[in-house]
Amino acid sequence: MGIVNLVFGRIVDVILLPFRGASPWFGMAAVSLLTALLMLEVYKHTSNQAAIRRAKDRIKAHLLELRLFKDSMPVTLRAQAAILKANLSYLAANLKPLLVMIVPLVLILAQLSLWFDRATLGPGEETLVKIGLEEKADPISLPMELETSPGLAIVSPAVRIPDQHEVAWRLKAIAAGPGHLTLRIGGLALVKSVVVGGRPLTKVSPLASRGSLWKQVLYPGERALAAGTPVRSIEVLYPAKSLNIFGLRVHWLVAYLILSIAFGFAFKGVLKVEI
Amino acid sequence: MSEQKRAALSRREFIKAGIAASAALGLGGAPRFRPKVTGRARSANKMIVLGLDGMDPVLTKRWIDEGRLPAFRKLLLQGGDFRPLRTSLPPQTPVAWSNFTTGMDPGGHGIFDFFNRDPKTYFPVFSATETSGAAKTIRIGKTVIPLSGGQIRNLRKGKAFWQVLEEAGVPATVFKMPSNYPPVESKQRTLAGMNTPDLKGSYGFFRYYTNEATAVIQEAGGGGEVHDVAVIGNRVEAELPGPVNTFRTDAPEATVPFQVFLDPANAAAKVVIQGQEFILKEQEWSGWKHVSFSLIPTQRVHGICLFYLKEVRPNFKLYVSPINMDPARPALPISTPESYAKELEHRFGPYFTKGLPADTSALVNGVLDEEEFLTLDNMVYEESMAMLEYELGRFDEGLLFYYFSNADQRQHMFWRLVDPGHPAYDEKLAARYGDVIAGTYAELDRALDLALKKADKDTVVLVMSDHGFNTFRRGFNLNTWLLREGYHRLKKPWKQEESGYFENTDWSKTRAYGMGLNSLYINETGREGEGTVAPGPDKDNLVREITQKLEALIDPKTGERAVLRAFISKDTYRGKNLEMAPDIVLGFNRGYRISWQSPLGGFPREVFEDNASKWSGDHMSAPDILPGIVFANRKIAAEAPALHDVTAAVLGVFGVETPPEMIGKDILE
Repeated sequence: MGIVNLVFGRIVDVILLPFRGASPWFGMAAVSLLTALLMLEVYKHTSNQAAIRRAKDRIKAHLLELRLFKDSMPVTLRAQAAILKANLSYLAANLKPLLVMIVPLVLILAQLSLWFDRATLGPGEETLVKIGLEEKADPISLPMELETSPGLAIVSPAVRIPDQHEVAWRLKAIAAGPGHLTLRIGGLALVKSVVVGGRPLTKVSPLASRGSLWKQVLYPGERALAAGTPVRSIEVLYPAKSLNIFGLRVHWLVAYLILSIAFGFAFKGVLKVEI
Repeated sequence: MSEQKRAALSRREFIKAGIAASAALGLGGAPRFRPKVTGRARSANKMIVLGLDGMDPVLTKRWIDEGRLPAFRKLLLQGGDFRPLRTSLPPQTPVAWSNFTTGMDPGGHGIFDFFNRDPKTYFPVFSATETSGAAKTIRIGKTVIPLSGGQIRNLRKGKAFWQVLEEAGVPATVFKMPSNYPPVESKQRTLAGMNTPDLKGSYGFFRYYTNEATAVIQEAGGGGEVHDVAVIGNRVEAELPGPVNTFRTDAPEATVPFQVFLDPANAAAKVVIQGQEFILKEQEWSGWKHVSFSLIPTQRVHGICLFYLKEVRPNFKLYVSPINMDPARPALPISTPESYAKELEHRFGPYFTKGLPADTSALVNGVLDEEEFLTLDNMVYEESMAMLEYELGRFDEGLLFYYFSNADQRQHMFWRLVDPGHPAYDEKLAARYGDVIAGTYAELDRALDLALKKADKDTVVLVMSDHGFNTFRRGFNLNTWLLREGYHRLKKPWKQEESGYFENTDWSKTRAYGMGLNSLYINETGREGEGTVAPGPDKDNLVREITQKLEALIDPKTGERAVLRAFISKDTYRGKNLEMAPDIVLGFNRGYRISWQSPLGGFPREVFEDNASKWSGDHMSAPDILPGIVFANRKIAAEAPALHDVTAAVLGVFGVETPPEMIGKDILE
């Protein structure tokens, strides 16, 4: 999974590279456009275009039939049944491309969340660092030490919460720039990145984990934590980020879906894709 | 249920009935002002007015002479001037600032006291605002659906001076003017000040979560509540109550659950509330935290509050500040245009929106100590200074009025530590906090320094306060005195001390009653619900008789007169809005004030009592002995200017004619 994340990560990094200093909307528009084009191509080559066209034609024909013979109950009922059947055919024809598309889409979304879901810490800002432990681990008796790189500081004692298998500290960002936390536990050192300041579009990884494959898919920003410790995850609570348009805050996922769908419809004719 | 408990309940009911409805008004469609600021004309003259609530002329002069107020001294040395400023009758904050706002006295603007009363029911009502829920509702099961919007009205009559300036094309920014809630309709930039409620609809209601037995005295319009919590497995589960949910027939408080996780050994805890997680060390304040209360699935009310972890162990103690309206999404109008409050939030993040943010109730009740109270009030001061710098930075025309509450609030709470004769004087605390008031004046001097640095030769800088201050050593139980003198009658005299809100009053035999902080009313036939005194000569004679007795009243403990002057309102006030005026306004002597229980219809045993409260300085005296201040970087022509004269001066700077209803005269040369 690490290699897949690395590859997808590099691709998204390169795409967004020119937009880091600009409004996040530019980066969002670029990835939405490229996603739309990619998905149109995937759709075109994985779907039965003829079957889709046929199903849509049938739906249109039966809709026309409904309008023309609206006074005839038997014809109307037959037409409705036919529309339903054609719809099911349409959905069946979409199943394969959707199943194919879902894999890259999830990977893309996970990568985009690193860029658009969380804002970096501002200098002077405080947040929490949370260490997630295995269920058997006792956070009170477990010796662990959290160290920071310059530009970061731990400003509270540890709060150990046994029934949540968690240890938390308050972290203060002091100076802008990339930094890291080092958790020393059982002779091992686990490292977690922390980003302070940066450009409007900066990659932020909130969580490093040693968990399941699914967690590695969802949090692709850092390498998996080393095994051999009871630490499952190290999380930094970054502030939420949203895109602003005319004073309205829009969640990045909403913006991404709307833009990529809009680009998809805009370019389906150019790429001759039947959706 | 004990009578005491019943009294407490009725007070809560009063708070609930009187003001809590305001929290739901925003949901019913409180009036909104047009957000665009248009029609502004440039004017050559500029004016900066600093409103420093409660700044006393004697103290100010003393500390200028001692060199502790360099900006004030500089203003005087550069050709400026100073006068004591005649205050309002009574010298209460909402009354005094209303005098300045409207250029009238209470007879014109109709604000006579913090509290007024419904003459038909004798029940106290707030004098400055009136809230009402939706006129029409339908009920579906336990859900109430409003069919029309609620209303919140600013009861102050007359035009505010910034409205007059607006008509003349002079732009103005008016920052936290007291008694401007809801802000009067205007295209000028205004932010509501004192009287702006918290999210509960009160003047400030803190929450205190502890496993230690603690009692809190409830106050009319504010106060706090202790929540007994248990620490189980180093964890506390609690609820933060918010506004009353008027969408439910039983009108419960909307609540938000939260958890506190205590470290087993370290003096620190993690708080989790609505997805927000933060760690507090013992004796540490959180920053602003957002809370959102769901009333029905489509309606939420948004607030902000501060958490203070006072102690982790041996006893758990967590203070939560009154929940302020979130300025980014206020449930009720707090600014004109609406976007102004949001603009400030965008620039500064969440900020105090509650009228008087200092939590005096928490200090009075010992929930916060002096240091903690000052920490909180310093946050208010620092925020005010940051916003003043911002406003001064963009000030280039018209008027900027800017208000500070710190001197007033701290003098109320710390006067006991500069007055060795005060019943609550504490030598140790005095050694530590005896300089707080002087320090506060010095802090406000820095605000003046900022203003003077911004001012050019065309800018008039004026510093004013609404009243001075003095000690509050002895409380006068007006209603008890009326009872003793035979003007008031109880149905069950043996239950005298348990009575509140006139619940025990025999109105058919009562001729006078006290309500509010300075007000005395005659039980007048036709005006009061069960009036006994005929208007005309009967009433006039009674009024004269009571004023004479009050002015002659001697406190047996001190041998001093408690009431320096009892003013007959119809002979004192100018203006046509006297229908809600008290018949007599008490002007107390130095060291005296109305007691704690009398203002809302209580009858303690003694006529006089020592004031052992930390609320130890006050300003309910006769206006002559309690002037405020007015400083200007111009010569002041008037020998004894009054608050309403400053209004005329503000208009005069811009060459705007004083409207006929305003009674003041321009004081600047």
